[in-house]
Amino acid sequence: MKRTDGRTAKLAEALLPALSIVIFLLIWELVVRWRGIAPIYLPAPTSIALQMWQMIAGGSLEFHLGVTLLRIFAGFFVAAVSGIALGLLMGMSRIVSRIADIWIAALYPLPKISLIPLLIIWLGTGESYRIVISAITAFFPIVISTYAGIRQADRGLIKAAEDLGANARQIQFKVVIPAAMPSILSGLQLGMGVTIILIVAAEMIGGSSQSGMGYLLISSGQVMETEKVFASLVVLAVMGAAIMKLQQWVDRRIAPWVAHDNR
Amino acid sequence: MDVVVEEVTQIWGQGVSQVKALDRFSHHFRSGRFSCLLGPSGCGKSTLIQIVGGLEPATAGHVRVQDPQHPDRARPLGADSVMVWQNLNLFPWRNVIDNIAFGLEMRRVPRAERYQRANTFVASVGLRGFEHHLPGQLSGGMRQRVALARALIMERPVLLMDEPFAALDAQTKIVMQEELLKIFDRTHKTILFVTHAIEEAILLGDEVVVMTARPGRIKEVIPIALPRPRSLEMVNTKEFGALFDRTFHLIREEVTAALAQQAALVASQP
Repeated sequence: MKRTDGRTAKLAEALLPALSIVIFLLIWELVVRWRGIAPIYLPAPTSIALQMWQMIAGGSLEFHLGVTLLRIFAGFFVAAVSGIALGLLMGMSRIVSRIADIWIAALYPLPKISLIPLLIIWLGTGESYRIVISAITAFFPIVISTYAGIRQADRGLIKAAEDLGANARQIQFKVVIPAAMPSILSGLQLGMGVTIILIVAAEMIGGSSQSGMGYLLISSGQVMETEKVFASLVVLAVMGAAIMKLQQWVDRRIAPWVAHDNR
Repeated sequence: MDVVVEEVTQIWGQGVSQVKALDRFSHHFRSGRFSCLLGPSGCGKSTLIQIVGGLEPATAGHVRVQDPQHPDRARPLGADSVMVWQNLNLFPWRNVIDNIAFGLEMRRVPRAERYQRANTFVASVGLRGFEHHLPGQLSGGMRQRVALARALIMERPVLLMDEPFAALDAQTKIVMQEELLKIFDRTHKTILFVTHAIEEAILLGDEVVVMTARPGRIKEVIPIALPRPRSLEMVNTKEFGALFDRTFHLIREEVTAALAQQAALVASQP
């Protein structure tokens, strides 16, 4: 008896989250139909799904999603390369860290969205503006985590390496940087999160290229195509979750030791 | 290699918060002998072997590691010794074989040769089959073996061990002590072994250097004349019992003193 209880509990644990979504959608559908709510305010899940299918069949959804993904990865790439590079330099050189510290302290708390007007004046509303605004935002968490990871590298491991004959350069590359890896990876996760936000926001604000999920969202909203707005939101949510899962998978590949209790 | 420690003093911190860890510690650790440093916690035992290993500069005094045949030829500190750390300090991102081969890699030994040599050490500490496991996937005793192999592969004549078995469970500790005794009988390295376990110190050592509470000084050096090869059964002999009693009385005073120091320290904090 006990055993079957355990099994049902496990099954429930596996199924209930999915079931809760199904129930939520069902209630939504029923409420919309029974109360006759206008689709302009709240479309039923089935009509959103239908709308989404039409957008996929017409190719517009794939196009906007693809454009957004490209921009996200471009912005993230720029931020990751520059952020890790500066973080490592700060970790290796006192002078660099002193200089960079003051700039980071001044610029990090600034809401990066407030730079949008200036960037539009300088760069227009083309691709470079979107990539720059997202890269600037993602740059800071990446730099800070990289530097912190280097700074907090286990003193014991450094001493052990020294004892085993490692020179300063070897200690840096064979001990300090690997030891900082978990911190660098968590900085990259934070960076990816803000990149997604900033790219979509930038697509909503400067719409000269008329592409991307943010553009789709705002243009659908302006003409009250509420189904399209919902369809875009669903796609954005799934996209975000997929990117995060992918990143966690990559992290486990790069730093499998983090899962174990260390040493 | 002889390890000659002369008047070593170590002071941590500055001004009023100064703590004197070692006070003019002098001792001649003879080549090929197993010396155990025994003392209450905080008496500067670990500090001393770190100074011997060239990993901490001493505030005052000198340490020389020298070939007994050529005492005039100075050797740089740390070049002839290797440390086995209390918390092991294995590199968590390196698997067993790459942890063991770390020192060879730093010396730029080619990969094939490095792995070949590391493999013989993997086998000698009984870790065959676990070459590609990460330290986090191993038990405490197995990690201990990795740390030992990583030190032994350096083939340095002086082995510094900082309470290496303190974190192990009782059975694993016995097995590791026996293995260390075998390694000592085979290689006759000069071993400086820090411990706070009286039984361990007597079982392993040719001499037990009993240290005082902080600041660490030598209270007494007890020669251990038990025959080698040693085995765990010797714990039950009369000689062992006598040595234990003698050491225990010496150390009890110091532990009491250390406790009083700690109590005073806690009381002095606001």
